[in-house]
Amino acid sequence: MKRRSLAAWGALLPLAVIVLIGYVGTVLWTVRTSLSTSRTFPKDDFVGLQQFERLLDNERWQLAIHNLAVYGVLYIVAAMLLGFLLAVFIDQKVRGEGVLRTAFLYPYAMSFVATGLVWQWVLNPDSGLQNAMQQLGWKDFSFDWIVDQDMVIYTVVIAGTWQGAGLVMALMLAGLRGIDEEIWKAARLDGIPTWRVYLSIVLPMLGPTLATVFTLLAVGVVKVFDTVVAMTQGGPGTASDVPAKFIMDHLFGRANLALASAGAVMLLLTVLALVAPLAYARSRQKAQGGH
Amino acid sequence: MKFPRHALAAAVLASAALPALSQAPLKAEVIHWWTSGGESAAAKTLAEAYKAQGGLWVDTAVALGEQARSVAINRIAGGNPPTAAQFNTTQQFRDIVDQGLLNNVDAVAQRDGWDKFLPETVLQAIKVNGHYYAAPVNIHNMTWFWFSKAAFKKAGIAEEPKTFDELFAALDKLKAAGLVPLAHGGQPWQDGIVFTATLAHFGGRELYLKVFKDRDPKAIMGEDFKKVLLAYKRLQSYTDKGSPGRNWNDATAMLISGRGGVQIMGDWAKGEFAQAKQEAGKDYGCAPGFGPKAPYIIQGDVMVFPKTSKPDQIKAQQLLASVITQPATQVAFSMKKGSIPIRTDVDVSKMDLCAQMGVAAMKDKSRQLGNGEIYITPDQNGALQDVLTSYWNRNIAVEKVQKDIVSALRN
Amino acid sequence: MSKRKSTSLWARVGIYAFLLFAAAFFLLPLYVMLTTSFKSMDEIRLGQIFALPSAPSLDAWRAAWSEACTGVSCEGVRGGFWNSVAIAVPSVVLPILLGAINGYALSWWKPKGGQWLFGLLMMGAFIPIQVMIYPLVKLEAAIGIYSSLPGIVVVHLVFAMPIMTLLFRNYYASLPSELFKAARVDGGGFWRIFVQLVLPMSTPMLIVAAIMQITGVWNDYILGLTFAGREHQPMTVQLNNVINTTTGERLYNLNMAATILTSAVPLLVYLISGRWFVRGIAAGAVK
Repeated sequence: MKRRSLAAWGALLPLAVIVLIGYVGTVLWTVRTSLSTSRTFPKDDFVGLQQFERLLDNERWQLAIHNLAVYGVLYIVAAMLLGFLLAVFIDQKVRGEGVLRTAFLYPYAMSFVATGLVWQWVLNPDSGLQNAMQQLGWKDFSFDWIVDQDMVIYTVVIAGTWQGAGLVMALMLAGLRGIDEEIWKAARLDGIPTWRVYLSIVLPMLGPTLATVFTLLAVGVVKVFDTVVAMTQGGPGTASDVPAKFIMDHLFGRANLALASAGAVMLLLTVLALVAPLAYARSRQKAQGGH
Repeated sequence: MKFPRHALAAAVLASAALPALSQAPLKAEVIHWWTSGGESAAAKTLAEAYKAQGGLWVDTAVALGEQARSVAINRIAGGNPPTAAQFNTTQQFRDIVDQGLLNNVDAVAQRDGWDKFLPETVLQAIKVNGHYYAAPVNIHNMTWFWFSKAAFKKAGIAEEPKTFDELFAALDKLKAAGLVPLAHGGQPWQDGIVFTATLAHFGGRELYLKVFKDRDPKAIMGEDFKKVLLAYKRLQSYTDKGSPGRNWNDATAMLISGRGGVQIMGDWAKGEFAQAKQEAGKDYGCAPGFGPKAPYIIQGDVMVFPKTSKPDQIKAQQLLASVITQPATQVAFSMKKGSIPIRTDVDVSKMDLCAQMGVAAMKDKSRQLGNGEIYITPDQNGALQDVLTSYWNRNIAVEKVQKDIVSALRN
Repeated sequence: MSKRKSTSLWARVGIYAFLLFAAAFFLLPLYVMLTTSFKSMDEIRLGQIFALPSAPSLDAWRAAWSEACTGVSCEGVRGGFWNSVAIAVPSVVLPILLGAINGYALSWWKPKGGQWLFGLLMMGAFIPIQVMIYPLVKLEAAIGIYSSLPGIVVVHLVFAMPIMTLLFRNYYASLPSELFKAARVDGGGFWRIFVQLVLPMSTPMLIVAAIMQITGVWNDYILGLTFAGREHQPMTVQLNNVINTTTGERLYNLNMAATILTSAVPLLVYLISGRWFVRGIAAGAVK
């Protein structure tokens, strides 16, 4: 047992160093900065939780958190569903699989600075879909979510899903293709319809893949920034603001390191609050049985 | 042909001595955000002027002001500073000065007599504790009024507005003609520009200074400021549905095609008109304000010089500061950039109509007014913008907006 | 060899219909990007984004590659190409390798405290990278690698660790544990099992990891800008200089062309990687 751990820890040493210095160290530094009045550069003073109070009072931050929750839930569900369906359908020995796969994956390859602008054009009532549909004859067609205070966050979901579903598909496909042939043979012998096989047998087997996908998407949600900046600039007004953009704006544009750090700490705490119970439950589950 | 050996040796020795005799150019790495075609041409004028006087411009362009400034700050923090970095005539680099991370250019300022020809507001931005920490490059006015002559003709408006009331009247006529009265891009900084214009030209110089310079809560909660906010909100009713998120160039494009009538935007808009081959006075009109005494709001770009003790770098910094502020460089740069020179003692006959209007306005010291960011910190400005852009896009009680602005400009 | 029930005609139609519909949704922005890149600015100003170009021209493409202004110099985006390659190669290979080793160690060997290490790592993944930039700048300056090629590779390594480790750890965890037991019975040590058994089985995940890391590194802008130093600025810096400007004119046809050009490398990787999305790699190893 001891020899087992030793070899493994030896190999994990670089990672441990990175985690400790790179991540833990940075988090500690960020927490320290959030307790000061740092502006462009870190300042050594200590003002307790003043920045956090200012944050909680800030309407824009409240809206950003609300948007994050809405975006997070919808984006993760949409991307996972779409990605799964795409993977399953592509796995059905369709012709032109390579072309289709690239069609679904290419959004991920492109810098969102330009693609975000394109989405802005497409969703803008003046220049985009609404205008095109009305010109084609559907005079009543309306699709102006992107300029609507309350609906704009949903447009970000659409563009985000467009960008991310392809990667989900790729991961699911890799997972699907790791499933043993025998399963399919056995299922066919038992006469189970294909869709049932997917739902009751394949999906549970994809557990680890689903966990990976979910974590990846969750990380993407918390850090979502490029999408919002390129498409809506956080607008109209501040209607589609998200925490990462709030943090960035205060870090660079407003030279308010302390407030930005406080935002980052709050974000991290929120994530911890959501994830920790989940992780705890999973580790208990694993301890009791299974892998 | 055989050369005598000693002659050959002499030739080799002589050629080796040559580089030592000629001056090595003073290398200056400059971080800036002039990346578009027009801006690049402008930056080139600086680079060439610098080269002509013995310098070598090493270019490090980074798009977007915020990005470029943060690169400069990170480089300074990481011990690998550039020779010079672009900032604005604002409080952006105040923190860097406070940390003692900038060299001053007092020597150049004294020698070239900056106090004599620089406008008061510019001096206010570059002089900290009596020392000069930046070399001003140009002056921009962010709040020009642009008029599309084609749109005005279609709406039957004979003359461009000369007062704010006439502006509202013109906007009404444009609306009646089925055009977009105010072509606007709904981004926070653009909403901020419209506000600045309204405060200065509708509210007046005194109120402007009370709000931005003094941050006087009584003035902000007062009746006059309330009227300014209501006028600001009224302007919003003249924008079209697709305006949120629009880039400013796309709004100018509406004026160019005659679809939109008025835009409130900085003097860099001339670049878009020029690209579409439109001429000032013929295809479009420009006004920095209403009336001969209207405030001329100025901001601009400066170069700061990160702290270094290497003698070549210091020499390069001082040469750069001097070259940039020379009259010839000033005119050449501003002509390509769409801005106006920092000094009024230059020959502006070759500049376009609007620029000449600007320089004439600048000559009148009583008209000079600094852009908000000259007086308030980036953080206060950002908080103000949040309030303004929310008000522009939502229905919020104006009294609440006044309160929010007071707290945004506090601390 | 048919592996499953042959699907009925209606099911086939449904499958293709869904896929084509989805493809249309995904390809719509690309269509707009391409048509915009072939139009002239006058045409773009009219605002008809779905219209086909009336007089398609390659001017924007040529300009994007070699003439667009990125500062004082106007040489397009090609300048940063080799820099991007120089940054990408080590920044893709190293994290993938480390990620695989870490994932293997964490999932098969389960060392004590491994859960905590992994937990901390995953927490770290949620921090916005911009917040970490300043401390990393100071750290790298202290070591002396700030503004250099090693500097940017180290940064990419640090930021890639959570995702790479996650990918491989979960993938290896899904493989049957009998494999591990059998290998240890056969007398395999840590490294031998890794190289001879685990690595060959990892192909699908290596492909996915490569896709993710190449895309992330190639499209990275802010890290390359801050840490790579003036001599090693990646292509994305030029791309951003071409596309973004605060108060300059925006040439949309140029921007679209430049974006597509810059993303050519990741796209190529996706196309080539198709070969390895083959079924039965892991299954074959079980036998």
